[in-house]
Amino acid sequence: MPRRKNFSTEVDINMTPMIDVVFQLIIFFIVTLQLDRDMLNERIQLAESPHGPAQEKREPRTIIIEIDHRGRISIGSAQFTPRQLQGLLRVTVERHGSRVPILIRADGDASHEDVRRVMDACTSVGLWRMQFAAIKEYAG
Amino acid sequence: MRQRKRQISRDKQSELEMTPMIDVVFLLLIFFVVTIQPLDVIALLDVSRPSPDPDAPPPPERIDDMLTISIYADAITLNERRYSRAGLERMLIRMARLSTTQTVLIKCAPDSSHRTLIEVLDLCAKAGLTNLSVLSL
Repeated sequence: MPRRKNFSTEVDINMTPMIDVVFQLIIFFIVTLQLDRDMLNERIQLAESPHGPAQEKREPRTIIIEIDHRGRISIGSAQFTPRQLQGLLRVTVERHGSRVPILIRADGDASHEDVRRVMDACTSVGLWRMQFAAIKEYAG
Repeated sequence: MRQRKRQISRDKQSELEMTPMIDVVFLLLIFFVVTIQPLDVIALLDVSRPSPDPDAPPPPERIDDMLTISIYADAITLNERRYSRAGLERMLIRMARLSTTQTVLIKCAPDSSHRTLIEVLDLCAKAGLTNLSVLSL
């Protein structure tokens, strides 16, 4: 009798713990993906550029500077004045060199005056190259 | 009685109860389908900015293979001549046939909207021009 019992437990594997762990992992990854997206200001309405080159894999060091329709500058939901932005970029360039990619997400209704402040802050610390984000294709 | 109990417990172990798991999986699926919003496809337009100081003397005017586009609040000019969007597009495509690496200098007035700049950059991207510089007037 004890022998048979032993045999039977060896044959059927208990799946429940594995399923538990897999679910935990799935939920973890979905939640962290969502966090990454929440860093961007959703109220910014980008201009459209149907012919521009589509975004490939984003360089992780990219600094995303956002400008809303009233010209307020922010990085990751923290607001900056142009002077503060310049200080921040200067520190970044000192630490990481001037090859840090700059991505400007400006609202289509922002005036060039506001965008210019950001571009001037970038060029004053030696960041010459920058990218503008635009919508290539609306989802759905 | 003891015998029967053992029988039941062994039965439970041998076959996995699937129904609650499927219920939970469906709930999770529905939750994510409802909450996820699809992302727009983003285009990235590369530009460079030649002069750090807006008051510095502008780069030498009229180098032969250089296009100058000026963006004002209500008009767009190419090499000092005013064009509509469609006209500008035709001109840029014609220019791009000569060379796609020629420098395109885009000057923006402070009161022009950012949307116009993106439109012009888009037309340049459509024509295949890659060497774009943005200046402020």
